[in-house]
Amino acid sequence: MKKTFILLYAALTAALMVWGFYQAIYVAPDDALQGYVFRIIYYHVPSASVAFLFFAVSLLGSIGYLAWRRSRPEWAQISDAWALAGAEVGVVFCSVVLTTGPLWGRRAWGIWWTWDARLTTTLVLWLIYVSYLLLRRFAAGPQVQTYAAVLGIFGAIDVPIVYMSNRWWRTQHPAPVFGGSEGSGMAPSMAHVLLWNMLAWLCWGLLILVLRYQVERKRQQITEKEALDALQAHI
Amino acid sequence: MDQAAVLDHQFVAAAYCVTWAIQLSYLLWLGLKWRAQKRNAGSSPRNSH
Repeated sequence: MKKTFILLYAALTAALMVWGFYQAIYVAPDDALQGYVFRIIYYHVPSASVAFLFFAVSLLGSIGYLAWRRSRPEWAQISDAWALAGAEVGVVFCSVVLTTGPLWGRRAWGIWWTWDARLTTTLVLWLIYVSYLLLRRFAAGPQVQTYAAVLGIFGAIDVPIVYMSNRWWRTQHPAPVFGGSEGSGMAPSMAHVLLWNMLAWLCWGLLILVLRYQVERKRQQITEKEALDALQAHI
Repeated sequence: MDQAAVLDHQFVAAAYCVTWAIQLSYLLWLGLKWRAQKRNAGSSPRNSH
């Protein structure tokens, strides 16, 4: 039953990805100013949205771990697994943002990179969560999960700063398309393509998020069992 | 097709390919990790008790 559901979900996700790609390349019109290269937005913006969402998952997981680490160890481990999965998959999507953005910028602005507020805060966000993953990978000792949770919470503070950066400061990055000032927005023929791609990347992201969570939970269970076996061997 | 249009196509293709390369590489890494974990758990002598 579970396997059938996963296969059906994966098939639906694949269909959405194909549909989103078809819409982005063959259906969406060229932008009046930017022309064909504007189509990069259909992968760039959904990746940013999904990255933000998964960093929020990591934030909730980190808070859950800190809240339950003494009172409910099992819940704390589950929260920690979600925190790790959210951070790792968030970094994957943020990496997509940081590579597709400069590709678009090279054609639109003539430069690969500029130290403007939106780009810099996004790079800082990526660096914070990469350091979170490195901490978890290389640090040892019983406090690693606690340190990681604290770093995960501080890292998440950068998410609203990234989101608001091109509202608070004058930036080279384009003004917000949705939720921006008066006159912002997108032609319906482009907006529905963007929404299809957002849905497709969200489904894809959720699939790998849950996979990563399952792998981490399994690792926790193996580590716990080995620790128990080692204790029993001593008694 | 003029030079600018060709370049536009190349940049869009590069962005889409890079996106898929990153996503599929991660999925592959995750799959290998999951398989290694399953193999280790299965071959561990403690699991045979």
